Amino acid sequence: MAIAIMLITGIAGAGMYVMKLRADNATLKANQFKLETAITEQNKVLEQQKEDFTAILESNKKLNVLINTFKKDLQDLDKRFTKKNRDIGKLAIDRTKSIERIINKGGKNAARCIELASGAEHTEEELKATLKSEINPECPALANPNYVSFQ
Amino acid sequence: MYHFNKIFAIAMIVFLTGCSIGGEKKIKIFSVEKPREKLNYDMPTPLQMEEIQWIIITSENAQEVFKKLEEAGIDPVLFGITDKDFQVLARNFAQIRQKLQETNNLLEEYKKYYEDTENSQ
Repeated sequence: MAIAIMLITGIAGAGMYVMKLRADNATLKANQFKLETAITEQNKVLEQQKEDFTAILESNKKLNVLINTFKKDLQDLDKRFTKKNRDIGKLAIDRTKSIERIINKGGKNAARCIELASGAEHTEEELKATLKSEINPECPALANPNYVSFQ
Repeated sequence: MYHFNKIFAIAMIVFLTGCSIGGEKKIKIFSVEKPREKLNYDMPTPLQMEEIQWIIITSENAQEVFKKLEEAGIDPVLFGITDKDFQVLARNFAQIRQKLQETNNLLEEYKKYYEDTENSQ
């Protein structure tokens, strides 16, 4: 009788042990899956970070180019007033009408530059301009993207 | 009888602890990621500048200029700046234009970075 009870108890114990092993196995499998998912997600995050850094660098580069263009535009503007010891006041006294015409044309060009800077569309004429005589000298980089200065 | 109690006790322990082997049911938690709504503002409307007429006035042509203004029915008064101040005004305008362009470009870059890619959260 005792042996029979021991046998039953033993079988039951073994059964329970197998069940425990299976449960442990399932837990381990679940953990493994979670780990693999975490690694995949981490890789995705790293990849995204890499793309973000590239995009940020590219954007910085573009803005730096723009800032340098601004500096050059301001220098060109100063040059137009002071080139070869030019005195715009004296010139205006000597050649009033022609300077008035130049100033008005410059004002018109400067106003167009502001329109373009605020997001206005380029005209076909502005886009086609490749010669110095065709460009808007107040802001060539902005107004005439196809013009290449050889200075 | 003594052995039977012993075996019975052991069997009971095995059976009772065995209940915990299957483990308890767990609540599953899902997290669904919903992307943030896009702001989608339109870009600012481009400016439309009005034209201004510059008149150069010197000691020699002053009378002629005022006469022409009167003839055209315009008040014979001019708001003047010197040649140096004109240069400053041109520079100031150029700087305002550049700031406008820079701000617009920044806006476009932000839009591109946060909305074009999957960076938007």
